[in-house]
Amino acid sequence: MDETPESPRARLFAEGRRLPASAARVGTPTRGPGEWSQRGPPLLPVAPSTRVVARLASAWVIAALLGVAAPAPAAERVGNVLVLYSYPWRLPINVEGDRGLHEAIRTSAERPVLVCDETLDAPRFGGPAYEAVVVKYLREKYVAKAPDVLVAVGDVALDFLLTRRTLLFPGVPIVYAGVDQKTLQSMPPLPAGVIGVPIDHTYYPTINLAFRWHPRAHRLVAVTGTSEVDRRIEAQLRAELPRVKPGVTVELLAGLPLDEILRRVAGLGQDAVVWTAGVFRDGANQSFVPRDVVAAIAAASTAPVYTSFDTLIGNGTVGGYSPSIYGIGRQAGEIVNDLLDGGAPGTLRLPRPLPQRLVVDWRQARRWEIPENAIPSEAVVKFKPPPLLEAYPNDVLVAVLVALLQTALIGWLVVEHHRRRRAEAVREVQSLELAHASRLAVAGELTASIAHEINQPLGAILSNADAADLILESPNDRRDEIRTILADIRRDDRRASEVVRQWRGLLAKHALEPRAFDLNGVVRDVESLLRAEARRRGVALRIQPAPTPAETVGDPVQIQQALINVVLNAMDAVAGLPDDRRTITVPVECVDGRVTILVRDRGHGIAPADLPRLFEPFFSTKSGGMGLGLAITRTLVESHGGRIWAENGPGEGARFHIELPAVRGHDDAPPEPA
Amino acid sequence: MSATPLVHVVDDDESFRTALLRLLREAGFEARGYGSAGEFLLRAPVERPGCLVLDLRLPGPSGLELHEALRARGSTLPVVFLTGHADVPAVVRAMKGGAVEFLTKPVEREALFEALRRALERETRQRTASGEAAALLAGWKTLTPREREVLELIAAGKHNKQIACELGIAERTVKLYRANTMAKLGVGSAAELGRMVERLRHLSEEMLTSA
Repeated sequence: MDETPESPRARLFAEGRRLPASAARVGTPTRGPGEWSQRGPPLLPVAPSTRVVARLASAWVIAALLGVAAPAPAAERVGNVLVLYSYPWRLPINVEGDRGLHEAIRTSAERPVLVCDETLDAPRFGGPAYEAVVVKYLREKYVAKAPDVLVAVGDVALDFLLTRRTLLFPGVPIVYAGVDQKTLQSMPPLPAGVIGVPIDHTYYPTINLAFRWHPRAHRLVAVTGTSEVDRRIEAQLRAELPRVKPGVTVELLAGLPLDEILRRVAGLGQDAVVWTAGVFRDGANQSFVPRDVVAAIAAASTAPVYTSFDTLIGNGTVGGYSPSIYGIGRQAGEIVNDLLDGGAPGTLRLPRPLPQRLVVDWRQARRWEIPENAIPSEAVVKFKPPPLLEAYPNDVLVAVLVALLQTALIGWLVVEHHRRRRAEAVREVQSLELAHASRLAVAGELTASIAHEINQPLGAILSNADAADLILESPNDRRDEIRTILADIRRDDRRASEVVRQWRGLLAKHALEPRAFDLNGVVRDVESLLRAEARRRGVALRIQPAPTPAETVGDPVQIQQALINVVLNAMDAVAGLPDDRRTITVPVECVDGRVTILVRDRGHGIAPADLPRLFEPFFSTKSGGMGLGLAITRTLVESHGGRIWAENGPGEGARFHIELPAVRGHDDAPPEPA
Repeated sequence: MSATPLVHVVDDDESFRTALLRLLREAGFEARGYGSAGEFLLRAPVERPGCLVLDLRLPGPSGLELHEALRARGSTLPVVFLTGHADVPAVVRAMKGGAVEFLTKPVEREALFEALRRALERETRQRTASGEAAALLAGWKTLTPREREVLELIAAGKHNKQIACELGIAERTVKLYRANTMAKLGVGSAAELGRMVERLRHLSEEMLTSA
C-alpha cells in the first residue's frame, strides 16, 4: 500500500489533459503543477461539498450501525496511517509533500507503521454518488487495517474526513496538512482530535520582488483560469493587491483561451512582468495541468514570468515566494509520529507554520539579467550549475593536477631553457673574457721575450743609423754603404712591426668570427711567438707542419692560445733538464676527418694520479700556477668541437693532443706554401 | 802584446751584429763578431787586448755562462752586456761577475762607447798590473831561498845586523844578499824593495802558490 508516486495507480490518477508537446517544451514533463497546499481548499466548493456530506451522512451512519467495527488503536500491533489526498496523485505538489511525509514517519521493528495512501482525485471526480462510493470503498477496504491516524492532505480531504469521520473512522485523530490558515478561519471550529499546522501563503511578496528585480517594469500581467481553483487563486490575488507596490498597473488575463493568453504574453515589453499560478481550465473550457500551462506561458512570454508556487519553478518561471511543500509534509509526518507514540492530540506541541521562502531558477535569473547580488542569500537557488569541483570532484582534481603538472613542466622547461641559454651566453662571454685575460697573463709572463724580440731589431736600427751618421761625416763618398744600411734599417723595422702585429693579434680583444683556417699556420705563428721565449729558456721548439693544409673552422687566435698554453706547459716540464731533453716537438696531422696538433716533450711526464684532473680549473702541479691555463685550453678546444687529452708518451715525456674537426672538400685547395 | 784593442761582439742576431760592428768600425774600433759563445771561444784571439760586448741570450751557453767561464779561466777580458731585455737577477749576476756595464738594446751610441772606453781602460790597467806582477814573480823565482829569507826580513824593516844575527850569518854576507836581491828584482833602493814586497804580498794566494 505504501506506493510510490510512480506506481501505475499514481499514473492512473494523473490524467489531466496534457498540452501539445510544442507548447510544453519548457517544462519537465514529469513534474506537473500542483495545488496541494497553497491555500484554502481549492477544488471543491465548500458549499456543495458540505451538501454532499449531508446527503451522504445517513448512509455513513447506517453503515456504522451495521456494525462495521471501528478499529481501536492498539499499541502492540502495527500502527496504521491512512493518508487521504485531495487532488490527483501525480501533481508535483502531492509528490513533494508525500516525500516529506513518508520520510518523516518513523517505522521500526518495535513500532512498525503501515502508511496507506488514497486520493479523492478532486476536482476531476466529485459529487454525492462518487463520495458514497469512496466512503464504502474506504470502509470496506480498511476493515482489517483500521487506521490509527488519518492524514488529510488539502482542504477537500479535510472537509471530506470531517464530515464522514463518525461514519468512517470514529475517534481516530486527524492530522491535516496543506490547509491554508485563511481557509481554516473560514471553517467552523475544528472538533477535538483534529490537529495540524496550517500554511501561510501570500502572493504579493513575489510580485513586489519582481518589480524590485525589474525596476523599469510597472505593469503586472496576472494569468489565471476559469476553474474553481483558478478563481480562488484570483480572489486571493485581488485581496492582496493593496499590498503590491504602488503605481503598478494590474492586468488580469482571466477566462481567456490559452492561445489568446499566449498571444498576449508574447507581445509584452520591458515594462511588464507576468505572474501566474497556472491555469486549470481556460476560457475555452479546456482543462490543463497548470504546470504545462506555466511552461507554455514562460516560453511565449517576452516578459519575465513569476509564480508563487515552488513546484512551478523550473519550467521557465524566474521564481517566487512559497512555503516548502516538502517541509509541510514533514511537519505532518512528525505529528503522526507523536500520535503513534501515544500522544494525545490535545496535548501535542505543534510547530509554527513554515515561513515562505524564495525559490529562484538560476537560469531564468541569468536570462533576465538579474544581478547575482540582488538574490538574497537565504534564497533557494535552483538549477545553478554546481561548481565543477562539486559535480565531478575526482575528475576535476585529476584534471587540475594534470594541468598543474603540465604547467609546472612547461614552466620548468621554459625556465630551464632560458636559464641554459643565459648561462651559455654568460659562459660564452666569460670564456671570451677569460680567454682574453688568460692571453694577457701569458703575454705578461712572456714580457721578457717579447721585449727582446722587439728590441733586437730596434737595436739594430739605432746602431745602423748611428753608423750611417758617422759614415756621412767621413769625407769619402760612401753612398752605397748608406744604401745598404738603409735597407737593413727597413728590414729590421719590418721585423719589429711583425712582432708587434703578431702579439697584437693574439692580445687584442676581438669578437668571435668563426672561419676556416689552417692549423699549420697556427703552429707557425705560435712558433714565431714563442721563439724568443724558447731561446730564453734554452728550449728547442720544433714544429712539424702537415704536408697538406690542415683546415678547421673557428677562431684561429683561440686555437693559437690553446697551443701556446700547452707549449708553455711543456717548456715548464722540461725546465732544468739537460740540454738534449729540453726539446718540444709539435707535429700537425690530418687523420680521418680530424686534424690534430701533438705537443710532445721529453720531460718527466705526468703523474698518473694527476692525469684525470689535468684540465680541471684550479688544478695545478706548479707552485705558482693558478691552474687555469689548461682549463681554459680545454674550453677553447671544446668550443671548436674538438677535444684535448694528455697522456704519457712511450719512454719519456708527456703528449698533449689537440684534436679538431677537419674541414672537408678542400681537395682542390692550393698546396700550402712551404 | 798588440797595441790595438779588439772589441768582440757576441750576438746571435745577425742583423744586430752587423749593425753594431758597422758602427764600432766607423767609430774607430777594431771589432769582430761571433754568433755564439762557442764561436767566440774557438775563434777569438785571446792574446790581444780588448773587450767583449755580450748578449745575454745565445743559442747554447748563454752570455752569463760564457762570462763566468772566462772568469774561471782567469781571463781578465772586460765584458759589457748588451741585451734586448734584462731582468734584475741577470743584471745582478752579471755585475757580481765583474761586468763593466749592463746595457739594453737599443743602445745610445755614446753610452756604448763610454762603456767600451772604460772596459778598455780597465783592460789596459789589468794587463799592466798583471805584467808587473809577472815580472815580480819572475824575479822572485830567481831568488835563492836564503835571498828570499833576507828579502822577507828587509821588508819587515830589520837592519843588516839584526838580519845577520837572526840568520846566524855575517853582516857582510847579508849586504851581499841584499845587493843580489835588489839586482834580480831590478829595484834601486831599500824603500823600493819594501814596496815591491808589499805588492808581492798583495798578490793573491793562488798566484803565489801556483807560481
